[in-house]
Amino acid sequence: MTGTRRWVTLVTVVAAVLAVAVLAVARWQEQRFARAAAVRIAASTAAYLAVVTPPDRADSSDLNLAQLLVQARALTTLPGWRWPVEVYHVTAPLVDAAASPLSPAELERTEPRWRDGAVLVPLRGPAPEGDGAVVGVVAVRPSGRGVVLGVLLAWAFPAALLSVVVAAAGAVRSRPRRHYAAAAALLGLAAYADVRGAARRSTDDWLTATRLLMQEAATRLPGPRIRVVPTDVAPVAAGAEVVWAESAPQAPRRKTVRGERRAVVAVRLGSGRWVEVRTSPAEATTGVWVVVLLGLALIGPLARTALQWVERSATQPRTLRETAAAWGFLAPAALHLAVFSVAPLLFVLYVSVHGAAGAFVGLANFRAVLWDPQVWVSLRNTVLYSLYVPVSMALALAVALVLSRPGRGRPALVLRAVFLLPYMSSVVGVGLVWQSLAGLGPKDWLGTQRTALLVLMLLTVWTQVGAQMMVFLAGLQRIPRAYLDAARVDGANAWQRFWRVTFPLLRPVTLFVLVTGVIGAFQMFTYVYVLTGGGPLHATDVVVHRIYQTGWDALEFGRASALSLLVFGLLLGATWAQFKLLGREAEYA
Amino acid sequence: MASVTLRGLTKAFDGATQLALRDLSLEVRDGEFLVLLGPSGCGKTTALRCIAGLEDPTAGDVLIGDRVVTHLPPADRDVAMVFQNYALYPHLTVHENIAFPLELRGVPTAEVGRRVAEAAARLGLADLLGRRPAELSGGQRQRTALARAIVRAPAVFLLDEPLSNLDANLRLELRAVLLALHRALRATMVYVTHDQVDAMTMGDRIAVLHEGRVRQVGSPAEVYQRPADVFVARSLGTPAMNVLAGRARGTAEGGDERMFESGSLRVPVALPTYEGEVQIGVRPEHIGVSGVDQGAGNGDVLNVELLGNETVVHLNAGGQPLVARLPGLVDVQVGTRVGVKVDRHHLHLFDAGGMRIG
Repeated sequence: MTGTRRWVTLVTVVAAVLAVAVLAVARWQEQRFARAAAVRIAASTAAYLAVVTPPDRADSSDLNLAQLLVQARALTTLPGWRWPVEVYHVTAPLVDAAASPLSPAELERTEPRWRDGAVLVPLRGPAPEGDGAVVGVVAVRPSGRGVVLGVLLAWAFPAALLSVVVAAAGAVRSRPRRHYAAAAALLGLAAYADVRGAARRSTDDWLTATRLLMQEAATRLPGPRIRVVPTDVAPVAAGAEVVWAESAPQAPRRKTVRGERRAVVAVRLGSGRWVEVRTSPAEATTGVWVVVLLGLALIGPLARTALQWVERSATQPRTLRETAAAWGFLAPAALHLAVFSVAPLLFVLYVSVHGAAGAFVGLANFRAVLWDPQVWVSLRNTVLYSLYVPVSMALALAVALVLSRPGRGRPALVLRAVFLLPYMSSVVGVGLVWQSLAGLGPKDWLGTQRTALLVLMLLTVWTQVGAQMMVFLAGLQRIPRAYLDAARVDGANAWQRFWRVTFPLLRPVTLFVLVTGVIGAFQMFTYVYVLTGGGPLHATDVVVHRIYQTGWDALEFGRASALSLLVFGLLLGATWAQFKLLGREAEYA
Repeated sequence: MASVTLRGLTKAFDGATQLALRDLSLEVRDGEFLVLLGPSGCGKTTALRCIAGLEDPTAGDVLIGDRVVTHLPPADRDVAMVFQNYALYPHLTVHENIAFPLELRGVPTAEVGRRVAEAAARLGLADLLGRRPAELSGGQRQRTALARAIVRAPAVFLLDEPLSNLDANLRLELRAVLLALHRALRATMVYVTHDQVDAMTMGDRIAVLHEGRVRQVGSPAEVYQRPADVFVARSLGTPAMNVLAGRARGTAEGGDERMFESGSLRVPVALPTYEGEVQIGVRPEHIGVSGVDQGAGNGDVLNVELLGNETVVHLNAGGQPLVARLPGLVDVQVGTRVGVKVDRHHLHLFDAGGMRIG
């Protein structure tokens, strides 16, 4: 099949269709960002005109038409201004007098809308407070390359050509599939680079336009003013922060302000008087598109593999049926795993690199968590708390050894049940009982900083011993009696039999109890939540409690997710180390 | 080196209705290789574990040499035991396994190394000392278990079916190894097995156990040639001895001759003082096949096994099943009727209860 003319055509067509689809999606996104820039520029222009144009009369709600005409025409002469703009006073065009007038109906709408490739936003009159009356419309046409030129100049274009060529060549010569997969991945990434570039341009365009308008406004403000202050020109930069700043190059740039990436531009209001306009960069919201574009591009190689598989198994219908059945059986479990394990994990990953406002913040949350002294306190408490594990393990093993000796009969069974009772009881109920117990003595053990964590550890030992004992009992029963008989004949006393035979043979079980115990210790939450709330003075503030507080009390979900991932990494490392140190597999001969 | 004496040993397990050992008495001589032979459940392993100290007898005594050790822990008895499943400690290497009993006794390290090397060399394990039991073959594991037993030169070796998990060739090889060890060490060895070939080929003496009792003790030849009862008779020899139940009557001529009748067979036997219910045992090699009506009676051929060096013929002589073992390849057709010859010089006579007569 591979190598035939039909196969080559099929693969090439699939590759071409997907390349075009990727280019189209990328182009659509680029256009969307260009339009978003136009909308903001139009709004800034309208705000600028309202700031620099004096009112018609002292208390009029209209702008002075003559002044407005001058200011509107001056716009197109601003050095560096490159966005086609039209200003309508009521329905009359002011910049290009020969243009067709607006329909009166357009004046009654206040939201930005598109007409003939330009965005229309309302121009409002003077208003001491609240929104002024609509006195006209500002129309801005997005700048940028045409559709054809836009596609040809995009990074994705050569990548698209390459992917089609590689796919075709692979089909002709039966090359390994990974060549096409690599080319498709390159296409997806190039398309994403285009989208991200467009998003960045969109923010830069607005910042550039806003800078020009604000600087112009600083010189054209009407009325008696001694000095321009930022609040005079701030309306031009609606939706952004305007703060005093040092002089700086006038090109837009990115910088991190209080842990968040911001797009900024320096604006000169007068000699030595600079402000900085800060807004959130549009490219921070493009993260999802890397997934979409890469996914779309990789459908090509997947489709090729699937086609190949269908072609091959068409001659072997049984294989096809069996494979389909296998996937069918796998589907429920795989779906469950995907929805309840993989998806939440990915979501936590996503949340951990985004700020409260939803903007991408990189590793800022992780940095914030690592610099938080309370996090370190909670980690220390958790490590201290997890020291209960070896204690309860020793007790559990001792009890299991006593109860597992032959000939113990019914009393042993009853004792097993008694030891297991605390483990089977309601966690909250047990917690409340211990709360009242801890308050009985001469002092409030749970309310004392030095003893509170110790009480929690004791409580946990009390509940866990039974469960660990059961696991050890099962492990002891798995050890063949012959080893102990041999050891007795070899001359081992009871302690030597335990230490040199039973304990080494129990190693896999011990490892299991240790690993699950440490993981459980790191996940402990309920007792702290029910008994101490992390107090007194953070003495029982364990790490999961810290995660909970960060998320639900401080509503810092990004940081809570970051901390969760750090704990996950820590546990992964600890478990790996335990396996490395103790996990040499004990094989039974 | 020491003898082992069991005096009236009785063992009852909790919850079991039958006694595992019933008043069992036995003496294993110093330096002897004694085989405890019997089917599973006959108590042979229990007896061995009582000697080792792994089981506490309900009544009776165990003596090693002149010392009563009945209630001493295994460590104080100076015995070594080899288990059916080898019981090599899986977490230790071959070297560590062999050194284990020495280390427990506080033998100095240098001495341990020397003796382990010696035992390993004797059993051909010198190249395997660094391996773990899981990396050994069955034969190598059994050699390691033997090395662990010999390394501390105990007074008595106890071997619990040590060859039963090995394939046929390895069994042959390890039998030779064991016998060589026995000769070299001049050690007292008690060997438990259900395999009569092990018993016949290895034992200085064989003790046949049944239902917790010793049925017969003697050299392999004695036990084979003069079995004390039907059970012992059928325990040794393949195929097992034919045991015919029937009646002995006086003949017309009178005298010592009695005529034994069982099924269609009539066999004259020398049985001076006995008449009535009796059993006679004939080993398959002492039964022959002849023309119809030319033997002690006639039988129908049920099955023929051609083994090359011999032919085993299964017969039905008037309701009495018989097995004959004929030398060489013999042409006998299944479904035909043949005459049955019985070699009257190799008859074993038992009374109705199965005990030997005369």
